[in-house]
Amino acid sequence: MVITILLISIYISGCRINDNANADKWLESADLSGDDDENELYENALKEDILIVYTVSTRATQVKESFEKEYPGLHVEIRDLRSPELIKAVAESVDTEKYDADVVICNDNSGTFKSELLDKGKVYPYIPNDIKENMKDGHVTDMITFLDEAELMFYNGTKYEKSPISNVWELTEEKYKGKIIMPSPLRSFSTYALCAAILDSSDVLEEAYKEYAGSELEIPVDNKASEYFMSLLFDNAVFSNSSDEVVEALGADETEYDFGIMVSSKLRFNEIGYNLKPQYDLEPFSGAKISYAVMIAKGSKNVNTAKLFIRYMLGGSDGQGEGYKPFQTIGTWSARKDLNDGNPVALEDIRLLTPDQDYIIENRDYIDGFLSNLLEKH
Amino acid sequence: MKSLQYFIFLLIISVAITGCAKNKERSHINIAIPYSDNVQDYETNYYIKWLEEKTGIDIDVTIIRSTRSNEYLNNLRSSDLDVDAVFFGGDFQADEKAVSDFVSNPDAYDEAALIYTCKGLYKSSGCGQVMWINKDWLTKLNLDVPKNTDELYRVLLAFEKSDPNGNGINDELPLVGSVDEYEFNSCLYILNSFIYTDPYNSYCYMDNDKVFTACVDNSFREGLSFCNKLYNEKLIEYADVDKSQLCELVNSPNNLVGAFTTDSIADVIYQENPEIMAKYIHLPPLTGPDGKSFALYREYEPAIGAVINYKTDKYDDVKLVLDTMMSEEASLIARYGEEGVDWEYAKEWDVGIYGEKATIVTKNYIWNTRQNKHLCGIGPMNVPDKYLIGVTWNGVNSDTEYIDARAKMRYESGFPKETSDNGIITEINNYVDEMTDKFVKGDADINDDKNWQDFCNGYNDIADKYIYKRMQNK
Repeated sequence: MVITILLISIYISGCRINDNANADKWLESADLSGDDDENELYENALKEDILIVYTVSTRATQVKESFEKEYPGLHVEIRDLRSPELIKAVAESVDTEKYDADVVICNDNSGTFKSELLDKGKVYPYIPNDIKENMKDGHVTDMITFLDEAELMFYNGTKYEKSPISNVWELTEEKYKGKIIMPSPLRSFSTYALCAAILDSSDVLEEAYKEYAGSELEIPVDNKASEYFMSLLFDNAVFSNSSDEVVEALGADETEYDFGIMVSSKLRFNEIGYNLKPQYDLEPFSGAKISYAVMIAKGSKNVNTAKLFIRYMLGGSDGQGEGYKPFQTIGTWSARKDLNDGNPVALEDIRLLTPDQDYIIENRDYIDGFLSNLLEKH
Repeated sequence: MKSLQYFIFLLIISVAITGCAKNKERSHINIAIPYSDNVQDYETNYYIKWLEEKTGIDIDVTIIRSTRSNEYLNNLRSSDLDVDAVFFGGDFQADEKAVSDFVSNPDAYDEAALIYTCKGLYKSSGCGQVMWINKDWLTKLNLDVPKNTDELYRVLLAFEKSDPNGNGINDELPLVGSVDEYEFNSCLYILNSFIYTDPYNSYCYMDNDKVFTACVDNSFREGLSFCNKLYNEKLIEYADVDKSQLCELVNSPNNLVGAFTTDSIADVIYQENPEIMAKYIHLPPLTGPDGKSFALYREYEPAIGAVINYKTDKYDDVKLVLDTMMSEEASLIARYGEEGVDWEYAKEWDVGIYGEKATIVTKNYIWNTRQNKHLCGIGPMNVPDKYLIGVTWNGVNSDTEYIDARAKMRYESGFPKETSDNGIITEINNYVDEMTDKFVKGDADINDDKNWQDFCNGYNDIADKYIYKRMQNK
């Protein structure tokens, strides 16, 4: 009996050692140091299979199109998913050792990307050295943040020349019941990040209430100011599945909604006739900062193509390549020092909360429970 | 002695095993199922296996390679093919009359008991036609989403003149339509900006409880004249395109099409083609010159999902299998796959694709993809509306059900307050469709009063037989 257990233990340990060895071997052969020559990458990429890109951004399809033109003979398959599904799919691809993900483009606002993929070694950062020096501070860490956005408050520009509100507490007024549309925070990572950041912001909400009402906030027993605010906001809100629905519902000429919360990059829909106006100066916050990362998936079978794709998507050495252009739209902020932001108003000039990932990861059960409880009552 | 005992022991065991096997002998039936690219292997299909386990009946599958269901039923009638039931779906759609003829054999069982319906592809009613427009072209040419017919004209003109696909060749097709099915008929869509135009009710509409015939109204004529203008200026590719050509054009990697219409976008864009799907967005219902803006309202009659071969000697077994398929439990597998793996019941806080509380969350979205969990819409089923409406978005940006739902919700404001209950009257529809085609293409001049009057007279003659008398009787 003892011998059997011993043998099983040795076998299991052997497997683990083997797994780690395989991972190390892949990492070593992948050489993610960033010291690659573009021409060599292309030459080697031509010997590889179709590149599979998991992305939360539909704009990656435009990168695919121009990439395939720029590098004839290379092919890209785009798998365009919402963040929770993407993280699940990439994790599964690694866990089952299928390794059918090469490049991963995802936002990391709910902390799940970090806890489920990054911390577990299922994705790795890669950035060419000649691009690295042009990246803004804080954008190259153990993650490559290639784009900044915001989960932001918008209003309908046909109804209102100027926003009728200046303080978030106004959103809780009876007259706005059913007039606010936002994605369900349990289905949208960026909305989740905003809600989590709000839950972590009781102090500023209490201060803002004083400005709004001219008196101290009376909080129900066993509630924090942030919880009380969220419950009132949710009472007035209508929930959708995604920011796209918010665009369509809020941006139309005739709409029942006054306000919407969605990712700032959706402002680009104004280019085709929607009338969405962002609110940058709401007291004490207009939204939360969010960011997008691009990484290489562990075990990528097409690592040369993956490196070349990331290089291309980041705009190449001088940032002037076509690959970054789909992301340089209104409502976005560049990750590169040598490129202008897509948005005319700087990120620093907008009142945004910065979601604290450590807080979110540590308090995930509380946040999930609180939000699902509110949504169930809704 | 010992070996004799052992021999006897073995003999007893063998007899016992044989006996058990005989007791457990299962009946089997043979079902003819049309081939589908979306089903990997009928032999190992999860749903077929589930049905076998649930009913205790083995199901043999004969694959139908033809798309001509009438011909197939005729052959079945005149042959001794060992087929107990035929499933319909995909490109092998049942013709109601052919099925009715098939089951009307004097020796047949109760006819109604032989036919099974398929309800579960769409919710039972809603918008029947949406226009999709190339967002990339709009963005490239710095154009807004058109909101009325004038703006549509200007956008289509820009599509035609400005080489939005950037290949230096004038190969863009600003608006493509097909007369194969009403959903693809882009002129029909445009006519709804002039007057409520409902081919599913023989081009009649209701107003204050009275039936009106749209196609003899002057607004209809103005709409046709507008379509004719688009045709003359090569802004619309119309009538010479069949459904498969429409699909090829829209799915072409050469980015050829500016706009088209469908019921579901999945009817034209392949589910596994996210790059193409990402190019198109829905238009809101267009407003016409008189400020009218209608959306085609459609009630979906369940299609025929299966017919039992009246010659079968396994009627009870076939009936058990098909009855099981009509249950909610089976229908959910038929529509969404394996519970717990491909879908689960929604949480209290989930939002459905139509904005209502969700009922179903898909974990693996397998509809319209190559898979082995169900028959992808082939065969009988009966999915309650609460699931079709209450399914959640699966998180895949190219999920066609979600894309459709978002579009269709925006069209609801254009529905008429009430619709006529005429249904399709073949003679009327054929006449109007044929003449509409001629007017749009200029084979008959819509601006010629005599032509128009002749058309109206022709319509009135037919309508007199079917509609006006009924109106009088009412």
